[in-house]
Amino acid sequence: MTNVLLGYQPLFDLFLLHLGMAYSQWLVLRAGVFSLATVGLAAVGAYTGGILVVTLGFPAPVALLAAALAGGIVALGLSVPLARLRGVYQAIATVAFIQIVLSLNIYAAGLTGGPQGLNGIPKTVGTLTLLIAGILTVYLMYAIMSSRLGRAFDAIRQNEAVAASLGVSIVRHQTLAFVISGALAGTYGALEAFHSYALAPSQFAFPFLIAVLSYVVLGGRNTIIGPIIGTAILLILPEIARPLAEARMLVYGLLLILVINYLPRGIADTLIERARARRLSARLAKSDTAPTTAARS
Amino acid sequence: MSLTLNNVSKRFGGVVASDSVNITVPKGKITGLIGPNGAGKTTIVNMITGMLAVSDGQITVGDRDITHSFADEICRAGLARTFQNIRILPDNSVLENILIGFHRHEECSTLAAMLGLPAARRESGKIREMAIAMLRRFGMSALADFPAGGLSYGHQRKLEMMRALASEPEFMLLDEPVAGMNDVESDSLAELFRELASTGMGVLLIEHNIRFVSKLCEHVYVLDGGRLIAEGAPGVVLRDPEVMAAYIGGEHA
Repeated sequence: MTNVLLGYQPLFDLFLLHLGMAYSQWLVLRAGVFSLATVGLAAVGAYTGGILVVTLGFPAPVALLAAALAGGIVALGLSVPLARLRGVYQAIATVAFIQIVLSLNIYAAGLTGGPQGLNGIPKTVGTLTLLIAGILTVYLMYAIMSSRLGRAFDAIRQNEAVAASLGVSIVRHQTLAFVISGALAGTYGALEAFHSYALAPSQFAFPFLIAVLSYVVLGGRNTIIGPIIGTAILLILPEIARPLAEARMLVYGLLLILVINYLPRGIADTLIERARARRLSARLAKSDTAPTTAARS
Repeated sequence: MSLTLNNVSKRFGGVVASDSVNITVPKGKITGLIGPNGAGKTTIVNMITGMLAVSDGQITVGDRDITHSFADEICRAGLARTFQNIRILPDNSVLENILIGFHRHEECSTLAAMLGLPAARRESGKIREMAIAMLRRFGMSALADFPAGGLSYGHQRKLEMMRALASEPEFMLLDEPVAGMNDVESDSLAELFRELASTGMGVLLIEHNIRFVSKLCEHVYVLDGGRLIAEGAPGVVLRDPEVMAAYIGGEHA
C-alpha cells in the first residue's frame, strides 16, 4: 500500500506545484483582470530563485522570498499598461509578456544558461514543503475572498460601473489582485526550481499557459475549490488512462471544449450552484407549506 | 450643504446632451428632475456620479468640487445612485449584493484583509449583521441566500436601493426608481423616499412619471433637449405652457 502511494508521490508534488500556479491565474480572473501572465511571472520567480542559489550561493529560503518579491514587482510594473486595457486586449498583452520573458531567458545566456537552461539547482523542496505551501495558499485565497477585498473583486468582475459607484477603486483593487497573483506565481516558480534540479526556458511557454488556464476553467472560476478540482482531474486523468498521457494537450483541448459547452462555469462551480439551488428550493417549498399546515391545525 | 450643478454642459461631438444646467439638491428634501424621454436626465446623473466626463461647468458637494473626480471618489464624498437599467451583481446572492454597498465604510487594513486577521473578520461579521438588518427593513430576509440574478424585477429594484443605502450617502440619486412598478409598490417606495429625506438625506428623484414626482417633491426641475425649461413648485411648473408643450406636443398645448 505504502509503495503504491510512494509511486504517486511525484504526481502529488506536481499537483501541488501546479495548484499554486492555478490559484495565481484564478485570483486575477476573479478580480476581472483577463491576464494570462501567470506563466511568465512564474518564469521570473523560477529564474530569480535559481540564479540566486546557483550563481550567487544564496540560501534557498532567502531566494524563495526574493522570487516572490520579483514576481510581485514585475506584476506591479506590468499592471500599469494593463490597467488601460480590457478583456481580450489584456490577454494579448500578457501573452506578449510571456513571450518576452521566454526570449530573455533564451538570449541572456550568461545569466540564465540560455536554451540549455539552468542546471545543478540543489533540491531543497520536497512534498512536505509543497504541502505546507499548498495549505497556506488555500488559506490566503480563502481569507482574501471572504474579506472586503474579495467582495470588491467580485463586484468589479461583474460590473465595473456598479463597483465604482459604490466607492470601489477599480485600479487599486485590480493592481492588488495582479501583484498578489504575481508574487504567488513567483513563489511557485521558485518552488518548482528548487524541486526539480534544473530549469529550461521552454517549460514556461504556451503549453504550460494552456494547462494552467485549463485547470481554472475546468474546475471553476468563482469557488476556492475550483482550481483544486480542475488541477486534480487534468493531472490524474492521463495517469489513469496511460495511453492518453502521450496526447495530454489534445485531451486538455477536448475537455476544455466540452466543459465550456456543457458546464460553462466549470465543474466545481456548476455542482455547487446546483446543490445550492436544490437547497433553496427545498427551503422555499417548506416555507410555502408552513402557513397551510398552520391554518389547518 | 447641498449638491450643486453650476452651468454644467455635456457635448458629444456636435450633439449637446446638457446645456448649462443649474440644479441645487438641498439636504433633507426630495428634489425632482423630470422631462420627456431623451431629455438628458440620465446624462445629468452620469455626470454627477463621475461616469461621464463633464464638458463644462462645475459640480460641488458642499464646498468640495467633484466635477472631475473619479466615480469611486464621488461615492466616498457621500453620493450614491441607482441605475435606470437595473444593475445587480447576478453571480452573487442577495445578501452579498448588499454587502458590497458597505464598502465605503470598511476600514480594516489591506494586510489584515489579506491574511484574514481578527480585525478583518470582525468587520465582515459586522457588515453582515447590518446587511441582514437592511433586508429585514425591506421585507426581503427570506431571499437573502438566493442568487440575485433570479429575482423579480421589483425585488431587483429594491435590492439596488438597499445596496445604495448601505453606503450611507448624504445624497441619493434615484434614476427612475419606480419604472415598471404598480401603484402599491411605488406608493411604498414613495413612503421610503420621504423617510430618507426626513433623516436629512438629499434626494434627487429622476422620473418621467409626473404624478409621482408632484406627490413627493417641493421643487422640480424640468429638462427638455438638454436644457432646463422650468423649475419651481410642481403645481406651478406643470402648468407652464413650455412644459406642457414638451410633454404633450406643441400644437396641442
